[in-house]
Formats: sequence, C-alpha cells, structure tokens
Amino acid sequence: MNVITKWRFVRILLTTGSLFIGWILFSGNFVPASLIIGLCFSFAVAVLTYGIFIDEKEADRKGLLPRFHILFFYLIYLLIKMYLASFKVLFNVVRGHINPRVVHFRTKLKSDLARVILTNSITLTPGTITLSIDDDHLVVHWLDSKTTHSKYAGLLIKGTMEKMLKRTFI
Amino acid sequence: MEWIVYGFLFLGVVFNLIGNLGVLIFPDVYTRLQASSTCTTTSVISVFIAAMTAAGLSAVTGKIFVIALFFFVSSPVAAHIIARYAWNKEIIPWRRTGGTVKTEEEKNE
Repeated sequence: MNVITKWRFVRILLTTGSLFIGWILFSGNFVPASLIIGLCFSFAVAVLTYGIFIDEKEADRKGLLPRFHILFFYLIYLLIKMYLASFKVLFNVVRGHINPRVVHFRTKLKSDLARVILTNSITLTPGTITLSIDDDHLVVHWLDSKTTHSKYAGLLIKGTMEKMLKRTFI
Repeated sequence: MEWIVYGFLFLGVVFNLIGNLGVLIFPDVYTRLQASSTCTTTSVISVFIAAMTAAGLSAVTGKIFVIALFFFVSSPVAAHIIARYAWNKEIIPWRRTGGTVKTEEEKNE
C-alpha cells in the first residue's frame, strides 16, 4: 500500500467522521438504528465527495492553521465589533447623513485562507464591503468615510482583525 | 434569562426594520447593499443568539450554532458577489457633494 492510497483512506475517514457528527447533531437521538443508518449514509457520501472536502495536496493543513484557539477569541471580537458598527449604520440611516468613499489599501497577510477570512470579516462588519481583492490589494467601499489616506483608512478598517489573524496564521 | 431573549429579539427587529428603511433611503447600489445585507446579517445573528439562549444547553443549541456558522460564511460571500459584479460593471459609486441625500430622480431633475 503506497502513501497515496493511505492518504486517500485517511481522507475518507475524516470526511465520514465530520458528516457523522453533523448527522448526530441534526437527528438528535441515539437509537442504534438511526446511528447505523447515519454511519452507512455518511460513508456513502464520503466515498463520493472526499476529493472536494479535503484536497489531495492539503496534507499540511495543520501547518496552515497552527494556532486554532485564537480564532475562537477572534469570533467573539468580531461579534462585538459587528454590534458596535451596526449601531453606527443605524444612526447613519436615521440621520440620512452618509459619506461613502471607495478606499484602496494593502494587507500584510500571506496565506490565502487568512486573506479570505479577513475580507469576509470586513464584509460582515456593517459599513464596509470588499469590492475586489487582487493578491494583497483590497478595494473597500466605506459607508461613512473618515479619511481617504490609504494607510490610515486601512488601519481604521482592518486594525485589530489583521493583527489577530497574523498571530493565528504566522 | 428571559429578558436577554427579549432584548436580542428586539434588537433583531430594530436592525431589520432600519436596514430595510435604508434600502429605500440610500441613493445607489453600493450604499443600498450596505444597508440591506450587513444590517440584516446583524439582525439574523441577534435572532440566533436569542434562540440559543432560549433553548439552553441541548441538541437544539448545537443545531443553531452550526446554522449560525454557515450563515457567517455564506452571507458575506453573497454580498461580496453582488458588490464585485457592480464594481466590474464600472458603476461609479455615489459621492457626497454637500446638502442632504438625493435619490436618482431628484438628481435627474
């Protein structure tokens, strides 16, 4: 058995495991018949879709995500920031006073996954939407613009989020 | 405990109302997208938090958490796709020129 076949079995096992956890969560009971049916079907789905769930060249996934626990604090920070920014947008709508601008800035993050998470959180925060990303160059639409200076705008928009992600992904 | 649930449900209703009001008030596609997509995201997350608090520690909380995680990923992607389409179509963003917010019809007059 060569290493590619072994890696294929590991991938099928991992996919089956995560599908089975989803089955238990969404069925909500521990009757043996339900568990056996769930295991069979998650194995069947895993055999069909393991190539999409875990890519063949992703054997270093642990290297991509070295410090997973910071992401938990990141989620809490994102929630708090979402609520604060939501109140700002709320007041903007009520007063009818907006100052929309398109700002360009760069990010220091290196890996693709970190960049996807950063752009998704910028879009998730009310008041800013990522229009386009090209390597490390972000184009962001800002509802209530404070400045047009690109470095200062980047500091205001990404700020702490980029620092936390940089610590997570090295 | 009940008051937390009521508070978050109230927040959800307020954010959704104001977000949809923003769609009517704001002038162009980008600002309307800001109001609709992002305010609505916050309102849906508020409703999820209220539901998780009401359910307590049970299997239902896990289900809602998984749905919330999926929503966290899918909602910004949908907003980003609409915004990127408008940006690639070279629609020029509306800019403030002084005075109050004007709609398309008022500018044409």
